[in-house]
Amino acid sequence: MAMILYHGEPNGPSFTVLAALAETGLDIECRPIDLLAGERHSLPGLTETIARDMGIEGEGPVLVIDGEAMTESVFLAQFLDEMAGGAGLQPSDPLAHWEMMMWCRQITERLSPAASLLGNVAHAHYRLDEMSDEEFATIADSIVSDDLRLRWQAVRDNDINDAHVGDSRDKVAQAVERCEKKLKDGREWLMGDFSIADLETYGWLAGMEQLFPEVFEDAPRTRAWLGRVKARPTVKAALARAGVAEPRDSWAPGPEINRWG
Amino acid sequence: MADITLYHWEPNANSGKPMLALMEKGVEFNSHYIDMLQFDQHKPDYLAINPQGTIPAMTHGDRVLVESTAIMEYVNEEFDGPELMPADPRDRWRVRWWMKFMDQWLAPSFSMIGWSVFVGPMVRQRDPKELEAAIDRIPLPERRTSWRKAINGTFSEAEMAESQRRVALGIQLLEQELGKREWLASDQYSLADVNGFNLAYALPLSQPHLSNDELTPNILRWLRAIYARPAVKACWALGRTDMVKRVSILEQEHI
Repeated sequence: MAMILYHGEPNGPSFTVLAALAETGLDIECRPIDLLAGERHSLPGLTETIARDMGIEGEGPVLVIDGEAMTESVFLAQFLDEMAGGAGLQPSDPLAHWEMMMWCRQITERLSPAASLLGNVAHAHYRLDEMSDEEFATIADSIVSDDLRLRWQAVRDNDINDAHVGDSRDKVAQAVERCEKKLKDGREWLMGDFSIADLETYGWLAGMEQLFPEVFEDAPRTRAWLGRVKARPTVKAALARAGVAEPRDSWAPGPEINRWG
Repeated sequence: MADITLYHWEPNANSGKPMLALMEKGVEFNSHYIDMLQFDQHKPDYLAINPQGTIPAMTHGDRVLVESTAIMEYVNEEFDGPELMPADPRDRWRVRWWMKFMDQWLAPSFSMIGWSVFVGPMVRQRDPKELEAAIDRIPLPERRTSWRKAINGTFSEAEMAESQRRVALGIQLLEQELGKREWLASDQYSLADVNGFNLAYALPLSQPHLSNDELTPNILRWLRAIYARPAVKACWALGRTDMVKRVSILEQEHI
């Protein structure tokens, strides 16, 4: 099986998958790509592209196996754990496993669109804004999903609804509250044992601590937990793959804001 | 009496996912019908089970489980019975990928259309004051917004057009995927098929110009194969509304 992991800077979904890979110890070739140059949309050798084209996560990492593009950071982390025969990233007890999946589902549904919007406004916007119309059009033309292409355009134009910004800050604060509540009993990791939930939550929150320190002020347990995640050797290894000084400032258009609410 | 209770609405969308998963596994459970159109899911009895007021929820002994797709994985892992997840990690990834794509991209578009056609008109006939009070009791703010839009019929033209675009594209993508293998995500019947059937069982009736034996033969083959399963028949027999009875279109030889 020919496997290549194409990833962005170790932040958000690319962080989760790089750290999960390090946790499993699997030997898979990693190739960094420049997400904001649109490189994810012109990967070589793909025969099955639906997951790359239509993934909910937006500009997340892509694992290519025998031409099939695989996406969504939580599921890629689960895949790596299962490929390794169980590397300890998922509980084996069904109830604990449900809780981890439910937690990750709520993080990816509520926190990740919010964090992504805020991170893109604060960082990615400036790079997309500097591009010439031709440069941007070349990238936009390569994006298959109409709704993802619109999210790129919105980041470039800073065409972001104020209500969405306020709502996104609330959602980040709610995620921090949930972490704080979970960690209240003194546990070391969110689910008790270390799991994908720690990686996925860290990936979306790490950059938020920098942007909204006030949200973390009354959350000492969450701050300490972020520190514990960061201190893991496997997380250090993932962060050491960064091509920039502060990977937590690296964002690219992500999941959409819930269309219903 | 079984120590499992499922709180669910119709065998449709999110409620139908764990209903069918339990029935495919052959697990006995108490069926507790929550009448969504009477707002049972926001009443104190149910909020005591699931404070978020979303359906379905499942209790297993003193355990309370929410989030329908995660509940299905629990059901599959916790109980004996036919395995509903493939063994191969890549197939398992594909099952999860398709469930997320359907849950978060395709299903909300189907349900926006479904709510404007079924749920809105069914609920709208009631006393506006009573409805407003019912909406105020909804715990999640985003759900309050969507109920307001559904009840008042105020989805914008652009929102409805986008949902229709997604439904049309989603149908094409499902048709392509089902041209690759017998079942949606792997060579064995899995939770992705349970999930997908809940989304698509009435497709040839609700979107006849987009899904029929000529245009989408693979989708029709797949829906009929799922409908032929005894657990599916038993599950859909629990439905009480005309919406769910639409499943009988799959009994026609040619659609």
